[in-house]
Amino acid sequence: MTVMQPYSTTLDEGQYHQVADHVMEDMHEKLEAYVEENDVDGGDVEYSQGVLTVKLGKQGTFVVNKQTPNRQIWLSSPVSGPFRFDYSDGRWLYHRDRRDLVKLLEAEISQLVGSPLKLE
Amino acid sequence: MQSLLPLAAAVASTSGSSTARTLPLLAQQLGQRWYHKNVVEHYERPRNVGSFDKSDPDVGTGLVGAPACGDVMKLQIKVDEAGNIVDARFKTFGCGSAIASSSVATEWVKGKSLDEVLKIKNSDIAKHLSLPPVKLHCSMLAEDAIKAAVKDIKAKRAQA
Repeated sequence: MTVMQPYSTTLDEGQYHQVADHVMEDMHEKLEAYVEENDVDGGDVEYSQGVLTVKLGKQGTFVVNKQTPNRQIWLSSPVSGPFRFDYSDGRWLYHRDRRDLVKLLEAEISQLVGSPLKLE
Repeated sequence: MQSLLPLAAAVASTSGSSTARTLPLLAQQLGQRWYHKNVVEHYERPRNVGSFDKSDPDVGTGLVGAPACGDVMKLQIKVDEAGNIVDARFKTFGCGSAIASSSVATEWVKGKSLDEVLKIKNSDIAKHLSLPPVKLHCSMLAEDAIKAAVKDIKAKRAQA
């Protein structure tokens, strides 16, 4: 039996920015390198004002953004659509099925580009 | 983006087809975003704006979103005894895509049963409006609003 960790509803804004900025900046750096190394056609990675845009040419565009009022990170995936992730013990999880933001991006982008992506 | 909307509306309503085709291309080249004509249509002529009486036993109300996020949708359905939605209304605070998504939702639920409308997916709404990636959240909210309205009427009827 798995015990569900309570989702963090007690992150204050300062803590939120700390954990969110950390993961966003880290993903930005790694994705920029990945897109360049793999010479993705029409590939472009941009991070500005809390919004990370990952263009993969014809394969589609991922948009990951901070949603400060909710203490969430939102994702729009060309593969699986829109999601909202909550911070829980160092991970960003979708409350309905506990899917993990970072793992989802690794899996979907690796699949689309045809080369393994490691974000952590 | 906001300044483009009146332009888009003007193009949609007054110009010939060739201008309507080249302007989006030009906008793309300028790096601007362009509202799909279906979104403009719903924004300029939204369907079913308004409210039903929340306490009416035949009315289901779905209220989703949060003012702090910039998006609040209220979607209401009027349901007959057989469980079919005979009318719908919406009021939305948010961007053009959010307004259009909830307007489309009210159109699509009419004439369907409560169980049928639960099958309406955010991806169908997004596809119909050609929503860009960052606006997929709006169509998801509209799907949530439908589900919340259905949940509300079912709860009401369970108590009756």
